[in-house]
Amino acid sequence: MAVKFFGQFLVEQGAVTNESLLYAIELQERTNLKLGEMAMAMGYITAQDIERAHAAQLSKDMKLGDLLVDLSILSPAQLQEVIDRQKATHLFIGEALVKVGALTPDKLDSCLAAFKADQAPYVSNHIDLPAWLITPQLCETAVDLTYKLITRVLGIQFRPGKCQEVNLLSTNRMIAGMDFSGDATVRYLLSVSEGLQKTIAKAILKEDDVETESDEILEDTVMEFVNIICGNVVAKVSQSGTNLEITPPVTIHPPQSGLPVPDGYRGLLFPIHVSDGEVMELGLLIKQ
Amino acid sequence: MKKVLVVDDSLSVARQLEKIINESGDLVCVGHAKNGAEAIKMNHSEDPDIICMDMNMPGMDGLTALRSLVVLDKTVKVVMVTSLGGVGDKFTEALKLGAKSVISKPFEAENVVNILRSL
Repeated sequence: MAVKFFGQFLVEQGAVTNESLLYAIELQERTNLKLGEMAMAMGYITAQDIERAHAAQLSKDMKLGDLLVDLSILSPAQLQEVIDRQKATHLFIGEALVKVGALTPDKLDSCLAAFKADQAPYVSNHIDLPAWLITPQLCETAVDLTYKLITRVLGIQFRPGKCQEVNLLSTNRMIAGMDFSGDATVRYLLSVSEGLQKTIAKAILKEDDVETESDEILEDTVMEFVNIICGNVVAKVSQSGTNLEITPPVTIHPPQSGLPVPDGYRGLLFPIHVSDGEVMELGLLIKQ
Repeated sequence: MKKVLVVDDSLSVARQLEKIINESGDLVCVGHAKNGAEAIKMNHSEDPDIICMDMNMPGMDGLTALRSLVVLDKTVKVVMVTSLGGVGDKFTEALKLGAKSVISKPFEAENVVNILRSL
C-alpha cells in the first residue's frame, strides 16, 4: 500500500531475489550512459570538455547538455543525437532482469501488468493549479497523494476545496510540516483540528481509543502521517526523473494571528472539507 | 525467539512496530532507539538478531547507521522501514549497503511479521 518502483515490487512479490535485482541494476548502470558519457562514447566530446562544463555549472544553473551547447562544445543537432541515442539504448529494469536470466519475457509481462494494477491507485488525477507554478508536477502529486492517503490511511470522506493563493495560513490545532529540497524547494504543511488529530492518531496507532494519549504522541502521529505522504510524493516524482530529499517532519503551533508565508515564497492553500465540521488544510510554500 | 531492535525517531511508529513484533509470538522487541547513533549503541548492549530501522531520522540517519552496523556486526540483519522505500535509488542503496529488505510505509502488520520471520 505505497508508491513503489518496479524492482522493489518484484522483490516483495518473490518474483526475483535481492541478489538478482542488484545484478540487474549493475547491468543497467553499465549500459545506461549519462549524457556526458554518451557524448564521449559517440566521439563528440572529451573528458576535458566535461570537466570544463562541470566547472561552468558552478556559476550557471543549466543542465549539462544545454551548457555543452552554450559553450559551443556540442551543436544543438549533436545534443539531440546524443539524447536520442540515450533513449534508444536505455535499458529498463525489467529488461535488465530478463538479460541476467532472473525473469523470462512472459513472466516480465505478467509482473508488469500486476505492478500497474498495484500502483493504479497512485496514478495522479488532474488538479487545478495556478499558471505561475514552477513545480506543477510536484505540487499536483503532493495534493493528489494527500487526498488518496486521507482516504486509504484515515478512511474518512472529504471534499477537496478550490486552491487559493494566500499570504497567511490560518490557526488550527497544529500544523505538521516537511521540507522538500533538491530539484525544487517546497515546504509541505498539513494543518488539522483537534478531532482530526485524534482520527489520525487512531489510524496511525491502529487503536480505537486515543483519549488517554499524550499530546506528544498525538502530534507525533500527525507528523508520521505527513512523513508517509511526503515519502510517497518523493517516490512518485522520482519515477519521472525529479530528485528530491526530505528532512524529518516538524510540528508547528501557529500563533493566533496565523502562520505568515515567508519572504521569497508563495503560498498555496488547499482546503479539505471533512463532513463533521472538523478542519484540515494543506498548504504548500513554494520558493521563488 | 528472535530479538528485534526498533530504530525510529517517531514514537508512534516505534510503538506500532513494537506491538506488531511482540504480538507475533516468535519475535520480541528488545528496545527502541531514536536515531542511528543510539541504534549502534543498543546493538552492542541488547545484541538483537534483527534491526528494523527508519531511513530518515534527525542526527545519524538510517543509511549512515546501516553502513556502520554491517561493519561492526556481521551477524545482525537490518531491515529498513521507510516512507522512502519507493524511491528506486534509496531502495537500491539500502540493499547494496547490506539491508536484507526494505518495507515501505504505510505498512501492514502481516507483511512486517512475514519479512522478519523470513530472516
